[in-house]
Amino acid sequence: MAELRTEEFQVNMGPHHPSTHGVCRLLLTLDGEKIIKVEPYIGYLHRAIEKICENRTYPMCIPILDRFEYVTAMSCNYVFSLAAERLAEIEVPERAEYLRVIMLELNRIASHMIFFGTTVMDIGALTPFLYALREREMIMDLFEMTCGQRLTYNYIRIGGVSRDIPKEFIPKCRETIKTIDEKIEEYKRLLNGNPIWKARTIGIGKLSPELAIAYGASGPILRASGVEYDLRRDDPYSIYDRFDYKIPTYQNGDVYDRYMVRLDEMQESCKIVAQALDGLPEGDIRAKVKPNFKPPEGEVYTRIENSRGEMGVHLISDGTNKPFRLKARGGSFAHLQLLPEISKGCLIADLVAIFASFDVILPEVDR
Amino acid sequence: MTKEELKSYLESNYPELTYSESGKYDLLFIVEAQKLVKTCEKLRDDVKLQFNYLGNISGVDTTENYLTVYQIASISNKLRLDIKVILPHDNPSINSVQSVWPAANWYEREIWELYGIEIHNHDNLTRFLLPDDWDQGHPMRKDWDAPDFIRFPQK
Amino acid sequence: MIATSVTFWLKDLLGSIGLSGDLLTIATYGILAVAVFSLLSVLALFLVWWERKVAGHIQQRFGPMRNGWHGWYQTLMDGLKLLQKEDILVFTRDRMVFFWAPIMCFVAAFAAYIVMPFGEGLIVADLNIGILYIVAITTFTIISLLMAGWGSNNKYALLGGMRSAAQVVSYEVPMVVSILIVVLSAESLSMVKIVEAQGGWIWNWNIFKIPVVGLVAFITYIIAAVAEANRTPFDLPEAEQELVAGFNIEYSGMKFAMFFLAEFINLFTVSAIAVTLFLGGWQGPGPASISFIWFFLKTFAVIFLLMLFRWTYPRLRVDQLMEFAWKFLIPLTFVNLIIAAVMKHFGWYLGN
Repeated sequence: MAELRTEEFQVNMGPHHPSTHGVCRLLLTLDGEKIIKVEPYIGYLHRAIEKICENRTYPMCIPILDRFEYVTAMSCNYVFSLAAERLAEIEVPERAEYLRVIMLELNRIASHMIFFGTTVMDIGALTPFLYALREREMIMDLFEMTCGQRLTYNYIRIGGVSRDIPKEFIPKCRETIKTIDEKIEEYKRLLNGNPIWKARTIGIGKLSPELAIAYGASGPILRASGVEYDLRRDDPYSIYDRFDYKIPTYQNGDVYDRYMVRLDEMQESCKIVAQALDGLPEGDIRAKVKPNFKPPEGEVYTRIENSRGEMGVHLISDGTNKPFRLKARGGSFAHLQLLPEISKGCLIADLVAIFASFDVILPEVDR
Repeated sequence: MTKEELKSYLESNYPELTYSESGKYDLLFIVEAQKLVKTCEKLRDDVKLQFNYLGNISGVDTTENYLTVYQIASISNKLRLDIKVILPHDNPSINSVQSVWPAANWYEREIWELYGIEIHNHDNLTRFLLPDDWDQGHPMRKDWDAPDFIRFPQK
Repeated sequence: MIATSVTFWLKDLLGSIGLSGDLLTIATYGILAVAVFSLLSVLALFLVWWERKVAGHIQQRFGPMRNGWHGWYQTLMDGLKLLQKEDILVFTRDRMVFFWAPIMCFVAAFAAYIVMPFGEGLIVADLNIGILYIVAITTFTIISLLMAGWGSNNKYALLGGMRSAAQVVSYEVPMVVSILIVVLSAESLSMVKIVEAQGGWIWNWNIFKIPVVGLVAFITYIIAAVAEANRTPFDLPEAEQELVAGFNIEYSGMKFAMFFLAEFINLFTVSAIAVTLFLGGWQGPGPASISFIWFFLKTFAVIFLLMLFRWTYPRLRVDQLMEFAWKFLIPLTFVNLIIAAVMKHFGWYLGN
C-alpha cells in the first residue's frame, strides 16, 4: 500500500483577520490544522512616532505618544513625563502623584477589560465582550469627566497633571470600582467553571519562566509563568510603595493563568484606587515647569508596569527643547517575538487563544 | 544591592566597563564593541548580578557616532543597568547579543533596518518595519530627510 | 377532523374541480411545495430576527430596533439588501462546484420538510421511512459545505469545509443512534406513527416514557443536533475568529443569503425533529385543529435553548470536538441503545 502523502501549505493570517487585534500578518505553515511554523510580519501600523517626536518640543510629544499604545494612553503619558522629570529632576506635588496613580490604575482596569472581552471572544463566546465593555464604559466616563477625552487623554503632563478632578469624580469613582470588583467575581463565576473554557485554556501555550525571561516577557505574562516581578514594587516609581496590594502570580504559564492573573490584577487595582482616593491630599496639581521646557543634557530609560508588561521610554536630551532621541518600548513587541516559540505544534484555534492571551496590541509593536 | 554598591562592584570587577556621567537615573556604563558579547555573558552569568533580562535595545545617531544602548535588568536581584556601545559613523557594525538574550532578535533587526548598523551573527536579518521594496535609506538616521517630512525651525 | 392528511384533502378538492391523473398529483404537490416553501422562508426570516433579539438581550442591549416595532422587518430589509448586492465571483473558483454549493445547501434544507408533521394531518407525505429520509437528506447539507469550501479555492474556506465534513460525519453517528431509541420504542420509522405513539399525557412523550434512557437520548440528540446545525459551541466550520468566515468566505449577495437561510432552516429542522421524536410532536390539549400551535410552541422552545447555547458558550477546538464525539458521545449512545432494547423487551415503560 502506498504511503499517504501530506503536504504543508501556507496560510496568511492577517493583515486583516478578526483575531490578530489590529493589522498583524502571521504567515502560518500548516500541516492540516497543525502549525509547523509561525512568522509574524509587522509594520503595517508603523507611524514613525520616534522620528516625529525628535522634531517636536517635549509637551508636544505627549499627545503623539498617546497613540503609541492607545488602550492605555495614561501609561504612555506617564512614562514620558516620568522620563522628562527624571532628566530635569522635577519634584511632583503630592496631589498630582495621587491623581496619576488613580488614573493609571483605572486605565489598567480598562485595558484588562479589553483583554478579557477579546480573549473570550476569540475563544468563541461573544457575550462577555459586551459585558466587559459595559464596565469599561464607566471608567471611560470618569476619564471624560476629568480630561474630556475617552481614549487619548493627554492628561499626565511633565510636572503633574493637566487639570484637577471635578467634585463628582470621587463618589462616582468609588461606585465604579465597587461595581467592577463585583463584576469581576461575576466573570469568574461565568467562565471558570465552564468545561469548554477550561478545555480551551488550561495547558495551552505553556511558557516556562526561563523562556519568558530570556525573551524579555514582562508584566502579566511573566507573572503567569511563576515569576513574581512587578515594576511597581521592584523598580519603584511614583508613590506605589504607600499602598497595600498583592501581586497575583500563577505557576503554569498557560492561557488560563494569563487570564486569571489579569482578572486578579483588576481587583488589586481596585484596591489601590480605593486607597488612593482615601489618601488624596489637597494641594497643587502641577509643579512649576517652564512652557519652553528644556531639560539638561543626559539620558534616561524609564520603565513602568503597564497592563501589557514593561513600558519604557529611552529619552536622550541634548539641552534643547526637543528630545534628541526617544525610543519607546512596549511589552507587546517582546511578546510577539515570543509567539513563534510557543505556538509550534499547536492547532490554529490554540494559536488564536495564545495570541489573545498575550494581549498584543499592534500600535505598540510598530510604533 | 543599592545603586552605589552596584557601581563600585562593577568598577572593581569589570575593568572593561567605564562609567558614564550622562546616565541620569540608572547606571550607565560604556563598553567597547569587541568586548560587548563577552561582557554581557559575564554580567548574565555573574551570580551576584544575574542580568538575565533584556528590556530594550535602542539605537542612537549622534551625528558623530552611532550608539547602541542595552537596557538590561536582573529579575532575581532587582537591578537595572544600561550598557552603551559607541560605534564609528562610517560602516558601523556590532556583534549580536542574541546568544546572551534571545530577546535581542527583533530589537537588533530594528536597529539594522532603521539605522543601518550591521549586526554580525544574527540569524534572521530581514526587513520587518519598513515596506519590502523600501530603497530610501535608513529613516532614523539624523541626516535622513523625506520630501514630506517638515522640520520645525530650530529656535 | 381533517381527512387523515392535508394532502388527501387537497387532492379531493382539486379532484372535485376536474383534475385527474398525473396532473392532479403535480398540482397537489406543487401547491404544497409552494406553501411549505413560503412558510419556511418566513420562519427563517423570523428566526434570524429572533436570534438577534435573543443575542441582544443576553448581551444587555436591544438588538434591531429601528425597522418597525422592535425591528420586526429588519431581516426582510437585510434580505432585500443581499438581493441587490453584487455577486462577487472569485476568478480562481471551480465554477460548477462554486455555483451548485449554495443551491444544494438550500434544497437539502427544504427537502427535509416533506415528511415533517407540523400538526395532526398537516404533512406533505407520510412516508413509511420518514425519519430515515430526513437523516439521509440533511446529510446533503454537509456535501454542499464541502463543495463550497473546495469550490471557493480559498485556504480558509477549504479548512472550513474539511472541518464541517469531519464534524458532521462524527456527529451523525450519535444522532442516528439516539433516533434509533425512539424508533425502537415507536416500532416505526414514520414520523406520524412516532408522534401518534406519544399521545395522551405528558409522560407518554418519549423523553419521559422510556425512563432515564429517553432523557439521555434527548440530550445526546440535542448535542449532536447542535453540531449538525453548525452552531456554537460546535460552529467550527465558520469559526470567525479562526477561519474568518469558513466555508462561505467567498460568497456574497444572494448566494450567501442562501447559505444563511439554509442555516436557520436547519436550525428549525433539528429542533422540529427533536420535538417530533422526544417531545410529543403536535400532541397537546385541545382539538386537532390547534395541534400545529403545540408543535410550533415546542419547537420554538427548543430553538430558544439552542440560541442560549450559542450566546453563552465558548467554542470547542477541532480535536476536542472529535474526541468528545468518538470517545464520549458514541459509546454513551450505544450503551443507551442497548439499555433501551432491554427495557423494550421487558416493557419497562411509563404510560401506555
